[in-house]
Amino acid sequence: MQKNALHILLADDDEDDRLFFKDAFEEIKIQTNVSFVHDGMQLMDHLMNPDNKLPDILFLDLNMPKKTGKECLIEIKKTDHLKDIIIAIYSTSSSEEDIEDTFIQGANIYIKKPSDFNTLKKIINEVVTVNWHYHTSGLNRDNFLLRLK
Amino acid sequence: MKWIPNFNSSNSLRVIFVIAVFILLFLSSIAYKHNQDLNESSKLVMHTYEINIQLERLMSAIKDAETGQRGYIITRNARFLTPYIYSRDKVNTSFIALKKLTADNKPQQENLQKLFKLITQRFVSFENCLKYSDPKTYDKRKLDNHMFGGRILMENIRFKVDEMNDIEKTYLKKRLKIYDAEISLSPLFSVSLFLVALSFILLSYRQISRDFERLKVFNKKLLISSGLISESESIGKFSTWQWDLDSDKIDFSDNQFRLLGLEPKSFAPNKATLLKYVHPDDKESVAKAIDGIVDKKDLPFVYYKIVRPDFEVRYFKTTGKLVTDQQGSKILLGINFDITDEHLLNIELQERNKELEKSNKELASFNHVASHDLQEPLRKIQTFISRVSDADKEVMSESGKNYITKIESSAKRMRVLIDDLLLFSRTNTTKKEFIKVSLSELLSNAESELAEIIEEKKAVIRVSKLPKLSVIPYQVEQLFINLIGNSLKYSQPDIEPEISISCEKVNSSDYPEILEQSIKKFHKITFTDNGMGFDPQFKETIFILFQRLHSKTDYPGTGIGLAICKKIVENHKGHIIADSTLGKGSIFTVFLPD
Repeated sequence: MQKNALHILLADDDEDDRLFFKDAFEEIKIQTNVSFVHDGMQLMDHLMNPDNKLPDILFLDLNMPKKTGKECLIEIKKTDHLKDIIIAIYSTSSSEEDIEDTFIQGANIYIKKPSDFNTLKKIINEVVTVNWHYHTSGLNRDNFLLRLK
Repeated sequence: MKWIPNFNSSNSLRVIFVIAVFILLFLSSIAYKHNQDLNESSKLVMHTYEINIQLERLMSAIKDAETGQRGYIITRNARFLTPYIYSRDKVNTSFIALKKLTADNKPQQENLQKLFKLITQRFVSFENCLKYSDPKTYDKRKLDNHMFGGRILMENIRFKVDEMNDIEKTYLKKRLKIYDAEISLSPLFSVSLFLVALSFILLSYRQISRDFERLKVFNKKLLISSGLISESESIGKFSTWQWDLDSDKIDFSDNQFRLLGLEPKSFAPNKATLLKYVHPDDKESVAKAIDGIVDKKDLPFVYYKIVRPDFEVRYFKTTGKLVTDQQGSKILLGINFDITDEHLLNIELQERNKELEKSNKELASFNHVASHDLQEPLRKIQTFISRVSDADKEVMSESGKNYITKIESSAKRMRVLIDDLLLFSRTNTTKKEFIKVSLSELLSNAESELAEIIEEKKAVIRVSKLPKLSVIPYQVEQLFINLIGNSLKYSQPDIEPEISISCEKVNSSDYPEILEQSIKKFHKITFTDNGMGFDPQFKETIFILFQRLHSKTDYPGTGIGLAICKKIVENHKGHIIADSTLGKGSIFTVFLPD
């Protein structure tokens, strides 16, 4: 259980997806603070700005203009004060290549964007309530891609 | 080097020859000596004979004088005195001859001296006899004395002459005996020596003719093989050259000239001509390689272009090796290949490969479009529909609710189609990594993937033991999912589905029409169900993409599932067949190579 509101950051260029995401967080009963960036450049600027509080979980779309999600991921993992942020890849693609690449680059979980709003809520709930310390230590290729029971 | 026959006999032949020649030389020297000896002995005989004659002449001259004197004394006719007058000269002539003949013989000289003294005394006695027989000075007693003395002198002369003759004879005998001894030793010896030499020569003649026969045979073989080599060189478009590093001589095979576009033996090759026809681009590298041969005594493959006199460019590949022949000279054996055809084919293949790569890339980008860009709007349609809450639906008209449901099912169908198409194209394009896994494991994975529907339909799946095979694991798992899923989907409405899966090993020769014959053994995996089955006339068409036997309202599906199965099995060089009896069930048989 979290004492303070979780700080969530979504990097996604798609307006509709940001809307779904926002609505889903509003409907689940967990206290969260959700903010958005629209592309990779904006994301990196946001993270590098010391005035901004670092997110607890970053939801990262792969297919973004200016700087792709993969580039951001690599950059984040190379930066000392950012590398411990929990990163959930949040993408339409479910290609083996993307899953493999992001796993190797150190993302914590891979979420394929669902096509049902209720499923989205379930996924967000799952990701937010997971004990990340426990999950990260047991992370492997099989449980990297999030599958809802 | 094995291909040069070894004539060991040549050395022993040489020895035999030398021996035979020496024997013959020896024999001829003996013959020469014999000849000399014979000559010597005949000269000796002549010598003795001459002395003998001269002595006889001397004797007869004195006798003539004696007879003439006697006749004169008796008759007092001066004509009887003529032989007496001449005898003195005759004696002197013979004496000079004898002196010459016995010049090398001291005892005979002394004898001759004594004889001369005796003869002189005899002539003095003649004078005395004539003096005392003359009527003017006649003295019977003195005449008798001198006549008698003359007689004794005569006896002495005869004795001396005989002695001299004897000495000569003895000497002759002695010499002849020595020669005889020398000669009598040899005939048997020389004949046997001659026979030995003859047999040696015969022996070597036999050996020579035998070697000659062998040489002829090898020569014939060499001719045949060199003919074959030059024939195969022109058939195989390769050529050979030999570079004698010691004498720096280079030999080209006939085909080498032909490969260069020239008549055979049209020039005498040397180190410079090796480079003459090489394309200017490659001259430097080939020259370097040639220098490398001398250092490393070896030539790794060199690829280069040559320009023929008619300016046609050909592609060459050259290799070489240093060999040492029987005489110990170092020869670099080089082989040139004209690889122009292969090279051009290679270029063509490379171009085709590039085209293939390009089209593969296009396919991959199409996949990306399908997986990402096409799904994006679809996903949004579905999400927005899911956001239409039940409360929203309450206020909607019946027809509006109906449209929403229809949009929902169409969108769902679109998603299934896209997913299946993606799956189908991925069975082609994704990397095919073969790993040895247990098929039983893959099957149980497939079952757990289908657990929901299996439970829902209360299906029973019976599996016999499946082998461990080298396969692309996720594809075979997909194959099992599709086949079992298919059976579950087309089960009979009132009967609980039963699927039995069995496996056996078969020989490809038992299925000559459908199986790859280069692979000997296959695993035949049979999926038998008790479902509704299909008309056997469709047993081929059901594997074709988008072919459906049922309406999509009764059985939702894309018509891709079995096409994927076929693709997967083909990826494994296997085969899949289907058979069915309508209303009784279907059998799908998968053949996978061992």
